[in-house]
Amino acid sequence: MENEKFEDVLKKLEETVKQLESGETDLEVSINKYTEAMKLVKICDDKLKAATQAVNKVLSENGTFEDFEVEK
Amino acid sequence: MSKKYITVTTLNKYLKNKFDTDPHIQNIIIKGEISNFKGHTRGHLYFTLKDETSRINAVMFQYSASKLTFTPEDGMTVLATGRVSIYEATGQYQIYIEEMQEDGLGNLHLKFEQLKKELKEKGLFDSIHKKPIPKYPEKIGIITAPTGAAVRDILTTIKRRYPICSTYLFPSLVQGLDAKDYIVKQIEEADKHNLDVIILGRGGGSIEDLWAFNEEVVANAIFNAKTPIISAVGHEIDFTIADFVADLRAPTPTAAAEIAVPNIVDINVLLNQYKIRTTNIIKNKLNTNQNILSSIKESYILKNPLAVYEIKTEILNGLYIRANRIIKTNITEYQSRLKGIKDNYILKNPLAVYEVMHQRVSNSYISLNRIINNSILDNKNKLNQIKKTHILNNPEKLLTNIKSNYNLVKNKLELLNPNAILSKGYSMVRKDGKIIKDSGEVKIGDIIDITLYKGNINAKIESDGK
Repeated sequence: MENEKFEDVLKKLEETVKQLESGETDLEVSINKYTEAMKLVKICDDKLKAATQAVNKVLSENGTFEDFEVEK
Repeated sequence: MSKKYITVTTLNKYLKNKFDTDPHIQNIIIKGEISNFKGHTRGHLYFTLKDETSRINAVMFQYSASKLTFTPEDGMTVLATGRVSIYEATGQYQIYIEEMQEDGLGNLHLKFEQLKKELKEKGLFDSIHKKPIPKYPEKIGIITAPTGAAVRDILTTIKRRYPICSTYLFPSLVQGLDAKDYIVKQIEEADKHNLDVIILGRGGGSIEDLWAFNEEVVANAIFNAKTPIISAVGHEIDFTIADFVADLRAPTPTAAAEIAVPNIVDINVLLNQYKIRTTNIIKNKLNTNQNILSSIKESYILKNPLAVYEIKTEILNGLYIRANRIIKTNITEYQSRLKGIKDNYILKNPLAVYEVMHQRVSNSYISLNRIINNSILDNKNKLNQIKKTHILNNPEKLLTNIKSNYNLVKNKLELLNPNAILSKGYSMVRKDGKIIKDSGEVKIGDIIDITLYKGNINAKIESDGK
């Protein structure tokens, strides 16, 4: 799950919350879904905090990517 | 002398229809110099377009004129797009202009319009080919000049809004004659890297500066790319061919970055909402279940477990009493029936049955004897009666009866003899052997034969007796 795309995880979270809100009365099922939702929220949070993992690259003349800094 | 004529109105209507149905003058671009320019108060423009040797009246209505990006004036050379038709009231033909550009740049505009028309007809702009832009991209490609405002605006906007996204810059020339080849090469290169979306753009400039984005090769490269492409060329008012082919057009490079990535602040708000919603639901569910559990704990049975046993014991007692009562009643009833059977007369006097049967046989024997004796006596009497009345006992009476019957028949026969009637004086008339009964059967001069009691007479009819 941690390797899935942010968009897919967010979509799963949205579906889980909708299922929870759809009026499922079984407490055990609900608690499982709640646990699942909280897990998904945490994955999303972690992904959003992992900004340091994002890279800025530029394609150089020799066809390789190099780090790129925006001029201020 | 009266020749056939048509009205002026009819003629102008006819000619207008001719103009309006000619496909060659419905969508034309003409180049000319503006003269006699008049701006109407309601926003319509009236003027003449001319070249060295000829002129045509032109009109541009308010809804088209309002889109002009320059102010037309006398002496200005323009490229006008529109259709030619006739104004019926004056019978003058004129061009109805929908779009108009200054011709300072004339040839480029003409090329632009022609290529736009051509590619549109080929279907390169059709919405069916537009790929959706992903909402949460992880890798974004940027094709633009590596220096300048455009790349800076795009990158800072992405980092500010969505810092978890990686960016890959594909540096390219964006103006000049070689720019189109660079752009095509970098679109093809970027398309290989499994990016979520590509931003293709440059900052503002003159139409010549932006021209690489109006080239057909660039249009085809954009169209053929598998990665969704957002175009962002020049300022908001600049439209290029690239904008029409791209999957989405952004008015500026900054706007392209804003479209390409979501705002992390909005996502955090959304995640928080999900947390609150799910937590509330679970809290409510736990509360509800807690309440149900409490009310069960408070129930009478759980508080008085012996009550269950007591209730069952009561039911059992009741059943025992009912069963006892029923059995007793049954025993009493069978005993009384048995006693009744024992007291029966026959069982107590078995010979009585024989006596009854013997009496019945005796009675039958007596009545049978009586019937037979009566029958014999009866038949004896009948035989005696027959003997007394039989004819053999009285033969004379039989003879008298026969005689009297004979005389009766003889008299009847005599009455039937025709001679007996003739003897009383009647006669019989025949003609040709046939008996005459009607005077109409004979005519004067006929010979008739009359039979009397004794002898015959022939006679001739002399008169018919009338």
